[in-house]
Amino acid sequence: MTGTGNDIVSLGAINITRTKQPAFYSKILSDREITYYRQNCQDVITLENYIWLLWSIKESAYKYLQRFNPGLVFTPVKFIVSGLLPPVPSPTENFGNTKAGKGFDVNKTWNGVITYGTDTLYSLSLLYTDVLFSVVNGTENFDQVYWGLHRINDTDPANQSAMVRTFLLDKLHQILTIDNLQIGKNEFNIPVLIKRDKEMQVAISLSHHEHFIGYSFVNSL
Amino acid sequence: MTRQDILSELKKVIAPYTTNKEMLAGIDDQTDLIKDLKINSANLVDIIIDAEAKYDIEIDYDSADKMVNVGTCIDVISEKLNQKI
Repeated sequence: MTGTGNDIVSLGAINITRTKQPAFYSKILSDREITYYRQNCQDVITLENYIWLLWSIKESAYKYLQRFNPGLVFTPVKFIVSGLLPPVPSPTENFGNTKAGKGFDVNKTWNGVITYGTDTLYSLSLLYTDVLFSVVNGTENFDQVYWGLHRINDTDPANQSAMVRTFLLDKLHQILTIDNLQIGKNEFNIPVLIKRDKEMQVAISLSHHEHFIGYSFVNSL
Repeated sequence: MTRQDILSELKKVIAPYTTNKEMLAGIDDQTDLIKDLKINSANLVDIIIDAEAKYDIEIDYDSADKMVNVGTCIDVISEKLNQKI
């Protein structure tokens, strides 16, 4: 099975003052990533958005790899993001309500490479003024990666969890044209797609933060 | 400082980052920060920073890795406090 991972950061929910404190961001970024920001990125992205962009990429990579290594522990500084390239030009608009697609326009995304030990993964991230959304894939080609991002009014975690499942299932029913799909979790708490009590070979990833929910999946059927 | 003392203070550290106040009141060693208290993973860094400030300790990456439930949080804080003595 192929993998996938995604993560959302609602930028309205971040504590900017704390984010910019070295004691905080040094637990997320490596020294090399901090240097990379100062040398290559500070003219196109604020420090706080850069930190949370890398957080979302690293968390997405963790979700991707956790599927194959359920005992994996998320230590952000051990996921190294390199070669980060900004979109041209950098978008300056709000997200809106819903965006979804198959693949990305790479001219509109932040493009990165993640290494964790001997693993190499690839990330594409959408950055708006109010939210950022990252998806990680095993290859540079995201053409088979489906994704969706949606604004919601409810910030209760239980309701977010239900809404993101509905959001993903609506898309899966449309793409796979299979009825009665369900989303569950396996013994390692990783989300899986289920049909008649059997796990399907479709890698899925869910995320929610504050007023946003998102998914990614790769159809291997 | 006993484990009970640390637990009592840890509840105050965690409180701003969970909406599950009912569960927070009854947490024990097995309570998982993400699964049970519904704490967003991004806020785990906040909890580590707040714990460092409250106890005047430094929590390294390897120790932070262990802080997935209340019991392991107390273990790490207790270990770091003992190292100060």
